[in-house]
Amino acid sequence: MSYATTEQTKKLNLTKTLPFHLLIFALLMLLWEMINRLGIADDLVAPRPTDIVMAMADIFFIDQTVWHHLASTFAKALLGAFIGTLIGMGLAITAVLNETFRKYIKPWIILMEATPRIAVGPIFVALLGFGMSSAVALAALVAFFGPFVNTYQGLMDVDHEEEELFRSLGASKFQTFRKLRLPTAMPLISAGWKLAAASAFSGALVAEFIQASEGMGVLISQYVTMLTMHYAFAALLSVTLFGYILFKIMEYVDYRIIFWRDDQLMYSISEKKRNKMRAPA
Amino acid sequence: MKIVSGIVSFLKYALSFIIVLGTWELYAAYGGLNELFLPRPSKIGLKLYDMFIETGMIYYHFFVTLLEMAIGFLIGVTIGVSLAVAAAFSPRFRRYIAPYAVVFNVTPGIAVLPLIIAWFGFGWSSKIALATLVCFFPPFINTLTGLLKSDDEAIELFQTLGATQSQYFWKQQLPNALPEIFAGLKLAITTALLGTIVAQFGSASEGVGILMQRFAFRLDMAGSFASLVTMSIMGLMVFTLAEFLDRHIVFWRNLDGLERVSRQRAKKG
Repeated sequence: MSYATTEQTKKLNLTKTLPFHLLIFALLMLLWEMINRLGIADDLVAPRPTDIVMAMADIFFIDQTVWHHLASTFAKALLGAFIGTLIGMGLAITAVLNETFRKYIKPWIILMEATPRIAVGPIFVALLGFGMSSAVALAALVAFFGPFVNTYQGLMDVDHEEEELFRSLGASKFQTFRKLRLPTAMPLISAGWKLAAASAFSGALVAEFIQASEGMGVLISQYVTMLTMHYAFAALLSVTLFGYILFKIMEYVDYRIIFWRDDQLMYSISEKKRNKMRAPA
Repeated sequence: MKIVSGIVSFLKYALSFIIVLGTWELYAAYGGLNELFLPRPSKIGLKLYDMFIETGMIYYHFFVTLLEMAIGFLIGVTIGVSLAVAAAFSPRFRRYIAPYAVVFNVTPGIAVLPLIIAWFGFGWSSKIALATLVCFFPPFINTLTGLLKSDDEAIELFQTLGATQSQYFWKQQLPNALPEIFAGLKLAITTALLGTIVAQFGSASEGVGILMQRFAFRLDMAGSFASLVTMSIMGLMVFTLAEFLDRHIVFWRNLDGLERVSRQRAKKG
């Protein structure tokens, strides 16, 4: 009898399975292509894979339209994520350190959580215009929540015994924060950053859908309006591609900052620190 | 005593709301704010009164949006949960679906909006489709992690008692995963609302989203803020519903619920 567990997945290594993955992917693409060639699906509804690849090559290398729009959307989303994270973490840290503030901010937070924040889009566009600022503001508003909740949760979830140890050793509030709360909260906080980046993208894209002159949102809706669906798919895939790269970069940063989650990395860093301490003597 | 302290803390919260809104109102009344940008609270309140009570025009849009959201949510959750169950049972399926799940996760679902409008048109179906698309992922990933979270001792116990695979699933794996599944559903229900409203921004003839956009384009800021408040009410409603279901179905997670249910069962027995 076998019950499904995580152990089973861990044992399968990637190099063995990669050819199968590729085979399945190729078969799927072939099937899709054949469906279009045989006229079962309309190119207007689901453009064939070869057309999408050609369109991607066109917008990336020949026509090169996509770079400008990608840079615009990325700038808006990242700036918004940065501002939102600063606000969210600032509020969370204030709430953790100050009990009165924590109590009074709570109903506002519940209200903010229930409101679909992206829905403020039309208001922001009307207030701030069609340029970059409305998209950045919307991205920041959407992004601030993840870092806020995660930072707050992480900083509050401190082990009682550890806290007692710090108190009995006479640690100051700042020391407890810097050496106990912050390190404990780091994994959750960085998960909050990832959330912020992902939601900031949605915010920037929605602002662009509503009204903008540049950005991937504009590009995708332009292609759809012109009914060049293969270009729309290519633009969508480039958002996915660069989103994936960003995600991987953030994962790497996460791995470097929270080094104590990985034994090997922790060992090498503690070795380095020890060497540094020895050097001056 | 409990009731009194509850009332006092409620009054405190109400007071903090009144102070914030009052400052806003006074500041606007003395000309500190451009009414075109940020309407005063009393005007938003009047507009809300107008929409909900005087003309009642909001109800139609309100229920259309809720219905679109509910259908999208149901479809999304069904797809997400069933895919997750399949992936939990078959390691092979899980392995082959994983890369697609990653790709799906990094694509902002909202970016697909223009394509969805082109496929499904301006009617209800495009809103339902976007709601489905954006809300299917949290139930999927949470159900999968919940089902795969295995307890070695429980497995051993079920094995020694000679339980079948289906018994193990229904009596151990599924109840064990319910807290995660419900966390996923709570996430999904708010994202489904969001998807519906964003799809309405894209193009629609009915719904709270298009109402808000119309107000904003007419520079009737009080109207668009009132629509925003309506959306908050909807969000609070669906969130409270999800929270309520969570507390009653996954009753064993908090002590009060556990006690209540065990007492009920003892009475029945």
